[in-house]
Order: sequence, then C-alpha cells, then structure tokens
Amino acid sequence: MSDLLVKELMVPLSEYATVPEGSTLFEAVLALENAQEAFDHLKHKHRAVLVLDKAGQVAGKLSQLDVLRALEPKNEDLSDINTLAQYGFSSNFVRNVRKQRRLQASPLKDICRKAAKLKVEDFMQAPSEGEFIDQAASLEIAVLQLVMGHHLSLLVTRDRKIVGILRLTDVFAAVFHTMQECEISL
Amino acid sequence: MKELEKLLARIVQRININLRELHYDVSPFIPHLVDLRKMLKFYAFYGITPHHPLNFEFRHSSLAGSYFLGRIRTNSSMLYKSDVRGDELKQQGALFRYQDFEIPVNRDEGIDIEDSLLVKTLVHNYSHDPESLEKFFIKDTVSSHYANIHGSPSDGCFLGPFATVDLTTIRDCIIGTFAYVQAGEIGHLNIAPGTVWVRSPDVFNFLYRHPMEKLNRYINFAAGGPPQGVFIDFVEDRKEDFQRVFDVVNLEPPVLVPPNASLDRFAVIKPKIRISENVLVAQRAYLQNAWLGKGANAQENCYIVNSRLAGFDVTAHGAKIIEADLGENTFVGFNSFLRGRPESPLTIGQESIIMPHTIIDITEPLAIPPGRLVWGLITSPADLELNSMPLAEFSKIDGKLVRGNLFFEGCGAGFVSAFRDRIHHILEANGAYFNGTDNRGHAQKNQKIAFNTIQPYTDGDLEGVFPTILIQP
Repeated sequence: MSDLLVKELMVPLSEYATVPEGSTLFEAVLALENAQEAFDHLKHKHRAVLVLDKAGQVAGKLSQLDVLRALEPKNEDLSDINTLAQYGFSSNFVRNVRKQRRLQASPLKDICRKAAKLKVEDFMQAPSEGEFIDQAASLEIAVLQLVMGHHLSLLVTRDRKIVGILRLTDVFAAVFHTMQECEISL
Repeated sequence: MKELEKLLARIVQRININLRELHYDVSPFIPHLVDLRKMLKFYAFYGITPHHPLNFEFRHSSLAGSYFLGRIRTNSSMLYKSDVRGDELKQQGALFRYQDFEIPVNRDEGIDIEDSLLVKTLVHNYSHDPESLEKFFIKDTVSSHYANIHGSPSDGCFLGPFATVDLTTIRDCIIGTFAYVQAGEIGHLNIAPGTVWVRSPDVFNFLYRHPMEKLNRYINFAAGGPPQGVFIDFVEDRKEDFQRVFDVVNLEPPVLVPPNASLDRFAVIKPKIRISENVLVAQRAYLQNAWLGKGANAQENCYIVNSRLAGFDVTAHGAKIIEADLGENTFVGFNSFLRGRPESPLTIGQESIIMPHTIIDITEPLAIPPGRLVWGLITSPADLELNSMPLAEFSKIDGKLVRGNLFFEGCGAGFVSAFRDRIHHILEANGAYFNGTDNRGHAQKNQKIAFNTIQPYTDGDLEGVFPTILIQP
C-alpha cells in the first residue's frame, strides 16, 4: 500500500493532551483545549485526552464521547430503562422512553456543573490489547488494527513505552494520499 | 436423616450449576427455606376422584405436607407443604393449538418433578410449552414460599417467595421475590423482585416494577434470613387455623354447601360464610366472614376476610381480599394483596381486572369504578389515578403508554381481550357456568373426592424420605 511507517504518522506524546489520574472532567476538557491552541499547526484537531498514572504511563483514554456519556444523568430511572430491552421492548420504544425521561431530567447546565466535579478515571477507557502498535509497524498493519478493533486511535510504542498516538484521521489522510498517487501513476 | 441431607445438597448443586452464568448462588437462602427436621413431621396426601387420572410415582423424594392430584411423578426431590394439582393436564388425543400449529397430544400429560425443592409452592394447569406437550417438567428448580408454577415448565430456576410464573417455559432464570412473569418462553434472565411482566410477542408487552423501598415492607428475602414482611406476618397469623384442618381426619362442612358447589375439606372456614351455587373453594383457602356469590371462586392459598364477592369473581391462587366489596365478574390476579380496613373499606366495581401481584393497602375508603384495569401499588386515591385506567380506554392504546412505573407497548385491545378470554376460561374450568347438565367444572368434579395419606421413614438413614410408591387405579 505504502512505505509509510507508524512513527511518521503519529502525534508524539509530548504534543498530545494529557492529564494525571485524579483530574476532573473539566480539567481534561481544558487540557484538550490547551493542546489545540499549543499545537494549532496540526491539520486535524485532537479528539481525546490521555490519562497518565503516577509513573507517567498511559492508564486510559478519554474521548469526546466519554465526556458526553459522563453528562448523561445516572439516576435509577434511566438505568431501569436500559433493562427494558431484555424484557422484549423494541429499540424504538426504549429510545423514546429514554428521550422522554432525558427531557424531564435536569437542564444541561446543571448536569455540566455536576460533571465538572467528576473524576476522569470513572469514564476513561483503559487501553485494550489490540490498541497498541509498534512505531516501526507499517501503514497496512495500522489500518488492520484500526478496522478490526473499531478504534479511533492507537497507542504507539517503542520498547514497550508509549511514545505517541496514531489517529484514524491521520491514517485516513495517508491512505487517501496513496490512492491519489496510484490514480496519477495509472 | 443422612439421605435427606444428601438429597438437599444434590438439588442445591444442580441449580447452582444452572445459574452459574447469572453468578447466582442459592446456598445462602436454603437454610431459611427448609428445615429438615420439619420434613419428618408431616404426612403427604393425594386425592382420588372418578373425574381425574390417578397415576403417581414417588421415588427418592421427601414430600412433607404436600398434596397431589392427577398424574404426577417425583424423583430425587423435596416438596414441603406444596400443592401439585394435576386436574387440568392434557389428555391423549387432544389437540394443542400453538400459533398456526395444531399439535396432537400422544399420551396423557404428567407433571414431572426431578431434582427440585418446592416450598409451599402451588403447581397447577398444564404445560404450555409446544416442545413438551406430554411432560410438564420441573427440573433442577428451587421455589420459595407461596410461589406459583402455573402452566410453566421450569429447568434450572430459582423462584423467590410469592413469585409466579404463568404459562411460561423458564430455563436458567431467577424469578425475584413477588415477581410475576407471563411471557411464553424465557431463558437466562434475572427478573428483579416486584416485576410484573406480561408479554405476547408482536402483540403487547406490559411491564410494571414495584418500588423496591415500598415493596420491602410487604415482602423481602435477603440471603442469611427468612422471608419477611406484611405478607409473611399475615399468613403466619393464620397458620394455626390450618393446623386444625390438617390434624383432624374427618371434618363435617361447617356451612351449607349447595350441591353444585365445592368446598374443599382442607380449606379453613371461619364463622359467617355464605357459599352460593357453583362456587369453588379450593384447599388451603381461608374464608372468614365471607360472602361468595354464584360462580365465585377462592383458589389455593387465597384469603377472603370480611368481604363480599357478588358473583362470577375470580380470586386467583394466593390472592388476599380483606375488608372489600367486589362487584360481579371482577378478577383478582395471583398473589394480589387487597387490604381495606373496617373504617376504610375497599370497593371494586364490576368487570374490573386487578392485575396479578397488585397491592392495594388503604387507610381511607377507596372505590374503584367499574370496568377498570388496576396494577401496581396503591395506598391512596392518587396512586389509584396513576396505576389504573378504564379498560375501554386501555383498549384504545396502539403504540405505547408510559405511566409511573408502567411501560406498555403494543395493542391495548389485544391485552384486554387476552385477559377477558383468560378470565372466562378460568370461570368455565371452575364450573361457574354449570347449569345442571352442561359446563361441569372443578366445583362439580371435586365434590366426591377422597384423600389418602402416605408417610416417610421415621428413623435411620432414610428418615424423612418416602419409600418408592406407585399408585394407580
């Protein structure tokens, strides 16, 4: 497909938004904002924050979706609704009920205020086995891992240490570029 | 008692294997479900009538205080004061209708209880499983106090106290305390306590959940303790009255019973009882100052106290009606608990349907208008407003209804019509419409019933276990 290697496409860890464990969701969102400003030369914006443990290792990843999920009310009422599907209610019915209850819940501003006090580790996703890739791996392997695992990014390692992030958007751009080159050479 | 201990351990192990996927261990509940010493105390008994099959096979089982009628087999099981009523089983040659199928029944159906523990449980009706027409199986199952297994084959399940499975095949499920399930076929589900679920796939789906903090006052069963709450206190307070009817060999009916009505000799009859024509009072029913109009019935484990049933009323298994006045053709579902007070009576208008596992507990007078569908927990007029609806209005639902803790999806008319058909069938089966020649039902068939007793070993390793017994005509 291409001679490109992962290390040529990845964003170095030093340029990525990170927060230590124990940070609040608000601090994580702030870190994301700061990273955008500091590295605005990057073509595509960051869409996640890495959570580092005390040793500076990546303990998890907090995506924009994780932040929005954290804003969802967690009252008993809504968790009950989640079990309706097991009783044979249609997905349309469950969706409508959830929407109805969501509208009856607190306004978004109140929820955001509460969410700003929540801890990142309660909502971050711990990296799974297929989410790591060596910096010397080829673009083909990166595509394979992204597709098979439905990942939006991969954690790039060198000697088992995380050194960067390989984002779906950068891989896609590289693939697109390769496709264009193929077209011209035909 | 060695064999009894081994038997119990075997049953517990088998159900735990079945429930391993749900990470459920029944062991902590068992010491509070069964006291092995009590398994030695009571005889078991069975009924003989010319109208029912007589075919029993008891092997390697303990059957203390339990009753059997019809065609029943038990193997490596423990039944404590349970009632296994095989008087509605399918007969050879009958046609079983299921969806578009008409399936012939090849031989007489039997209830088959294997590797199971049933405590004060009622087993009745017939298997509604089209895959098991001739065998109503109860296997690797533990059921707790006052559970109902009604037309519901069960394999690898745990039923909490006052739980009901109705016309549903259940496999590897937990049916929580006071939960009611009528859903055709379910597997690997943990049904939360206080859930009332009635589903007919592609037609309707009704789900109500009792609020746990309030339900716990009425009934709760936690590991490490016995079942507790108002329901248990209520039945315990009347336990001694039952002791007498089981201790005395010959009892004369204490009230006048019309020739077309049936009053079981194992029912408790306190003063001021009126039994009208075509009435059925089943065993373990409790009547005190109760007026039962024509065609009304009181099924097993029912309590009717200081109440009047106008006629053609159904009091389903385990329902309790206290200080209430019911109009004609009212239906009170399984294990419902309806409690008025002398100064605040409950009135239920005619043609109303009180859903199974409904609790009405009032301290102010409450009148339910005629033709109402009632569900859930009601302690005030405001609760009644939230948890009831005119049947005519409910019939108009086409889509969805979410009200309080109730979720309904589908066709309201289909739901109401299914209930009405069922009520009609119950009255018919119970003999409410008997006219002297036609429509004979349980009220007429159960009159000339005789009871025989059987007993376990009273000493040695087999103490508490019944010998192998075959009983046939």
